Amino acid sequence: MMKVPFRHMLVYLDGSEGSMNALMYAILLAKSTGASLSALYVVNTKAIGDLVRSRIFIDQERTEFLSDLQKDARRHLRHAERLAASKDLDITTATVEGSPHHAVLDYMKSHDVDLLVLGSINVIRSRRDELTGENDRMLRTSPCPVVVVRGEDDIWAEFEEV
Amino acid sequence: MALLDAISKDMIKVPLAAADRDGVISELVSLFADARGLSAERKKEIEDLVASREHLGSTAMENGIAIPHAKVDGLDKAYVIIGISRLPVAFGDPAGNGTRVFFLVLAPSDNPTEHIQILASIAKACSSQLFMRMLLSSKTKDDVYNLFFE
Repeated sequence: MMKVPFRHMLVYLDGSEGSMNALMYAILLAKSTGASLSALYVVNTKAIGDLVRSRIFIDQERTEFLSDLQKDARRHLRHAERLAASKDLDITTATVEGSPHHAVLDYMKSHDVDLLVLGSINVIRSRRDELTGENDRMLRTSPCPVVVVRGEDDIWAEFEEV
Repeated sequence: MALLDAISKDMIKVPLAAADRDGVISELVSLFADARGLSAERKKEIEDLVASREHLGSTAMENGIAIPHAKVDGLDKAYVIIGISRLPVAFGDPAGNGTRVFFLVLAPSDNPTEHIQILASIAKACSSQLFMRMLLSSKTKDDVYNLFFE
C-alpha cells in the first residue's frame, strides 16, 4: 500500500450523477490507498425553511419535500454501501440536516476528514455570486485538499474493471 | 444541477400576453410544450399540475415575482420557463400589487434535491434589488438570458 497524505476521505452525495461518479472514484481511491471513507448526504432543511418563509412552499410541501429528501438520502447511502461492499471496502454513511456546505464543513471538522471528494463543479457561466452552487462553495471553503471528479465514462469503466 | 442548466433561450418570453393567473400558467406551459414538442394531452397534464399547486397557495412574493412549480413524472431534467409581463398580473401576492416576473419550475418527481436547489437559487437571485431592476427592465428574451449568463 502506498503512503498517502490523507487518512480519512469524505465524499459528498447529493443524488446527482456527478456525486455518484465521485462516490465510485472515492471507493477506488480508498481501496488503493487504505484510507477510510465516509459518505455524507445533507438534507437541505435550510433551503426548505427559506422557501417556506418566502411563500414559495406551503406547509404541506415542507413536509412532503422533507420526507422525499430523507427517502432520497436513504436510497443514495444504501447505494453507496452496496458499491463499497462490491469492492470489499468498509464505508461509513451518514445523513445530516442543514445547509449543505456548512453541514459538510462541520462534519469534516468533527470527524477529522483530510480529503474531500466532490462531483462536478459548475462551469463558470455567470459572474453572479447568487448562482454559485453548493459544490462550488465547498470547494472554496474546504479546510483540506479537495478532489473534483470528472470524466464519467472513464470512472464507470475503471470501477467495473477493478 | 445548477439553475443555469435549466434555463434556455427558447423557454423565455417577453412580454407575456396573458393578463390573469391561469392565463399566465397556460402561456408558460405552452412555451415549454412547444420547445419540447409535447402533445396537447401532456401539456394539459402539466398545466393542471401547476394550476392545482398554485390554487393551494400562491407562490407570488412581495417583490413582484412568482415561482409556480410542479413535480412532473417522466422529465429527463428540471426546466425553468421565464416570462415577464409588461403590466402586473393578479397572482395572489400578499400586498396585492400584482406580479410581473414569472419563473415556472418543472422538476422530475424523483429528484427532490434538484427541485429545491433550483427554487432556492431563483429566490436568492431575485433577492438582489439590482438583479430585479435589470430583470424588470428587460425588453427581449435575449436581455433576460444575458442577465443570467453574463
